[in-house]
Amino acid sequence: MAALSAAPWRRGCPPALQLVRRGSKAVTRHWKAMHFQRQKLMAVTEYVAPRPAVPPRCRPPDTGARVDQEDDGYVRLLQRQVQEAFRDNRMIAVCQYNAMAGDDVVLLRHYLRRHNIEVKFFLNEIVRPVLAQSKYRNLLPLFVARNLLLVSREAKAKEMLRVLKGVPQVNLLGACIDDTILSRQGVENFAKLPSLEVVQGQAVGALSLLPSQTSSLLQCSSAHLTALLDQHIRRLQEGEGGAPVQPSPEPTGAH
Amino acid sequence: MLQWRLRAPLLTRAGAAGVTMARAGLKKLVMPPDYSGIVIPEKPKLKFLERAPAVPKVRREPRRLRDIRGPSREATDFTQGQFGILALGGGYLRWGHLEMLRLTIGRAMDPRSTFAIWRVPAPTKPVTRKSLGHRMGGGKGPIDHYVTPVKSGRLVVELGGRCEFQEVAPFLLRAARKLPFPAVPISRAGLERMRREEEERRVGNENPWTFERMVRANMLGMRRYLSPCDLHWHGRYWGKFFLRHRV
Repeated sequence: MAALSAAPWRRGCPPALQLVRRGSKAVTRHWKAMHFQRQKLMAVTEYVAPRPAVPPRCRPPDTGARVDQEDDGYVRLLQRQVQEAFRDNRMIAVCQYNAMAGDDVVLLRHYLRRHNIEVKFFLNEIVRPVLAQSKYRNLLPLFVARNLLLVSREAKAKEMLRVLKGVPQVNLLGACIDDTILSRQGVENFAKLPSLEVVQGQAVGALSLLPSQTSSLLQCSSAHLTALLDQHIRRLQEGEGGAPVQPSPEPTGAH
Repeated sequence: MLQWRLRAPLLTRAGAAGVTMARAGLKKLVMPPDYSGIVIPEKPKLKFLERAPAVPKVRREPRRLRDIRGPSREATDFTQGQFGILALGGGYLRWGHLEMLRLTIGRAMDPRSTFAIWRVPAPTKPVTRKSLGHRMGGGKGPIDHYVTPVKSGRLVVELGGRCEFQEVAPFLLRAARKLPFPAVPISRAGLERMRREEEERRVGNENPWTFERMVRANMLGMRRYLSPCDLHWHGRYWGKFFLRHRV
């Protein structure tokens, strides 16, 4: 064709092959068939997706982790409540909570409230981050399944155990009393301990044992001497025989 | 009791005893959307577009199919509304298509809380037709009807107001299917995501041989078989069609 032979240095121009008579226009209603060379070009220049260095099947499975970690006001409120509960109360007991009828829960709450123990429900997904950043992080293993918190300002472990014994659906897992983590056995031992007043009285008694002996210690030697002299006089008088025994004067008070 | 909302476990992780339990999580309280800056105009529905311009054209115009070819340069972004119909191919909109859009959208939308605006003008381009059954020749035919040319990537109608995309998408899809070119309902976020994905594909393409590179360097003498327009369309447009899968 004429176009092919003319000016080979003008290859870079708009298509040298002006196929005017043959074929359709550039814009058609139907899908215009591409020139084979163009088809080859389109096939060669197709998109190839990037392959990651580590295939996704070798990675740990995506657990659908929450991407939307925006700070929810409600979540912050609940976390603040958890922090207050841990801060204001001396005794915090964690119990496993199995399904109970609503009335039974109300009764349980009532009985515990009588001893000034409150029953609190917190969601694990809120408690766990709060505890992880506080000093109670060793309590984290307890907050796994459904649980409830018994909190109180006084450490009334005996009453709590007595109430919980009557409720089979609530099992004590552990407690944190006065910043001391106790297991179930530890709580029972703590409950068996005498009350504070009794213990204080015992301590005072033990401490005052020695001072109470001071006076008798001081009087010990003189009393001993007096007793010896009495004994001696009695023996002398018995030795004289028949002589009226004169009662020796009582040793006077403290010398 | 607290607001327990039982939810199926996302990942069944067998515990120590090999048993999984349905967990209840915290209810996610989602804030309602903020529609404070939205103003519904006085005439919220699409206005009536004339079938032909007021002054009919005397001079018959050449076909000029290049007004269908390639990407659109106007009406590619949202102005007032949040949702719209995006054209993914080129074509001519006739008065019938415009009426279909106007009536379908007007019937389905709530004029108190949503408004719609045209992003295409009324038909002005005359299209001639010869009468049926006649042989070739005898001059150009008389003007039959008027059309609006639409290129790929152009918004046809825009919708806005106090509504969500999920409320609006069904009837927009119904209307978009009837258009003479491929069209989809789209929102602002959807358009942004589409552009971002295109860009990611373009950047993350592992194939060292791209259309653009081969045409710019005229490798294998490809420009002999390609149009000069392919230099800046990079093989994404072929006639009036938009090849979305091409990078």
